Amino acid sequence: MSALLRLEVIRLLRSPQFLMYLAAFPVGMYLMLVKVLDIGADDPNADPAAVMVSMATYGSLGMALLAAGSIATERHSGWTRQLAITPLTTRAYVIAKTLSGLFVVPLALGLVLLAGAFVGEVRLDALQWIEIIVLVWLAATPFAVLGVTIGYLAAGQAAQGLTVGLYFALAILGGLWWPTSLFPEGLRPFAEASPAYFAGSLGWDAVDGEPVNLTAIGGLAAWTVVFAAIAAWRYKRVAAAG
Amino acid sequence: MTDLAIRLAGVRKTYGPVTALNGIDLEIERGRVVAILGPNGAGKSTTLNAVLGLTRPDSGTLEVLGGPPRAALAAGRVGAMLQDNGLVDEATIADLLRAFAAWYPSPRPVEEVLERAGLTAERDRRVLKLSGGQKQRVRFALTLIGDPELLIFDEPTVGMDVASRQAFWDELRRLAEDGRTIVFATHYLAEADAYADRIALITEGRVVAEGSGTEIKNRVPGRAVHVTLDAPDATAMAALPGVTDLDVEGTRVHITSTDADATLRALLAKHDDARDIEVGGVDLEAAFVALTRGEKVS
Repeated sequence: MSALLRLEVIRLLRSPQFLMYLAAFPVGMYLMLVKVLDIGADDPNADPAAVMVSMATYGSLGMALLAAGSIATERHSGWTRQLAITPLTTRAYVIAKTLSGLFVVPLALGLVLLAGAFVGEVRLDALQWIEIIVLVWLAATPFAVLGVTIGYLAAGQAAQGLTVGLYFALAILGGLWWPTSLFPEGLRPFAEASPAYFAGSLGWDAVDGEPVNLTAIGGLAAWTVVFAAIAAWRYKRVAAAG
Repeated sequence: MTDLAIRLAGVRKTYGPVTALNGIDLEIERGRVVAILGPNGAGKSTTLNAVLGLTRPDSGTLEVLGGPPRAALAAGRVGAMLQDNGLVDEATIADLLRAFAAWYPSPRPVEEVLERAGLTAERDRRVLKLSGGQKQRVRFALTLIGDPELLIFDEPTVGMDVASRQAFWDELRRLAEDGRTIVFATHYLAEADAYADRIALITEGRVVAEGSGTEIKNRVPGRAVHVTLDAPDATAMAALPGVTDLDVEGTRVHITSTDADATLRALLAKHDDARDIEVGGVDLEAAFVALTRGEKVS
């Protein structure tokens, strides 16, 4: 499997345009919010550090989701068929895809945090920075798995549309664009049980100096299991239809 | 212990209303080079996909190297080259071969495989920059890297230029000499006749004839008559006694006849310019047409 991971890394590093485009969007959004719109100047709902964490989380989830979501393209191109006639197992392929999704997370995460520290003038303890990096990175796990799931749910263009659609929907629902405190009362319970909200909570709590949010970690683990179960079920359907 | 590399017995596979495999029976002995020959849509690819465990048959028995298909693949005993399989565009040829080598218990050295596939000069080029024929050679190299005992090729020479094609068959012959079992699907009769020691003729999801090229030709009654005329007239030729099939190439006429003697007598009576006359058994193409007649041939 390490051989496959090596191929995945080669693929990602030698096609940097896609990654840079993906990573540039959240950092651009962050700079626009804090510099152009001057958010947080007189709004207690919008602490610049929390906005930084929101955008870092938003970027990280997207990287994991889209990198792992390349399964859909690879099913279309016949690469998965090429792998299927080797001793390599599907399990190894899916794990390699998930890990490659997590591998690219630091690019978006790092860009937003750097912008926060040097442009947004966010001041936090060293420990808080480390906590944010580690937790937000790990919080991308269910999204890498969701990318795999979409890869077995849809193919080609449909999968791309579904991925981007779900990405925006989950990011907005999870309060990464606007805090869930601004949501209608009826929507909040759903929003605050969604995977992007759990992911964001880890970073927001770190900014506030709260202890690590175990509820959020449990919630993310649960979502990981749900997405993996859907992927396994779909994979069996796809394989049986072959 | 069986000496069969592949055994299919009564294997059926349907895709909705389409019957791809209609109770196919096929036994392939170890060490053979076998061509699976048939028109497009006959079930060649489905047969190979079933052997590779990519397609699960609806019913029937299927054994590869004495066990289920996935077990043979997992043990690294099977290598296969399928049509249009994707590669990693960003990787170089050597990257791909090194990765694949890691998945097999006893791989061949990367440099040796590069040379066998004629890719030594391109080893550090990215897949994205390769031509269609070069990519096909890469797929061939990936088939060899695991040093498999059973090799399966689906329409291997499609998209290859003449030189690549020749190199491919030369390499295949070397692999066969090492005692490997080789199975290839093709719709080119000449390839089956030239490179396989046995041919399984498939139409509509079943084997309609199986044997050496000669045996298959002998299954078709009739003789082939070849003759050169100054100005052949197809209509007049077809009206000769016993003629069942006719092919005119310039001044050369190829006739399949149920009664070659009667055909020749009538021909010579009318055409005193007839020359270079040859009479023999039907060729594989005529046998193919006869054995698949009435079926869809595209």
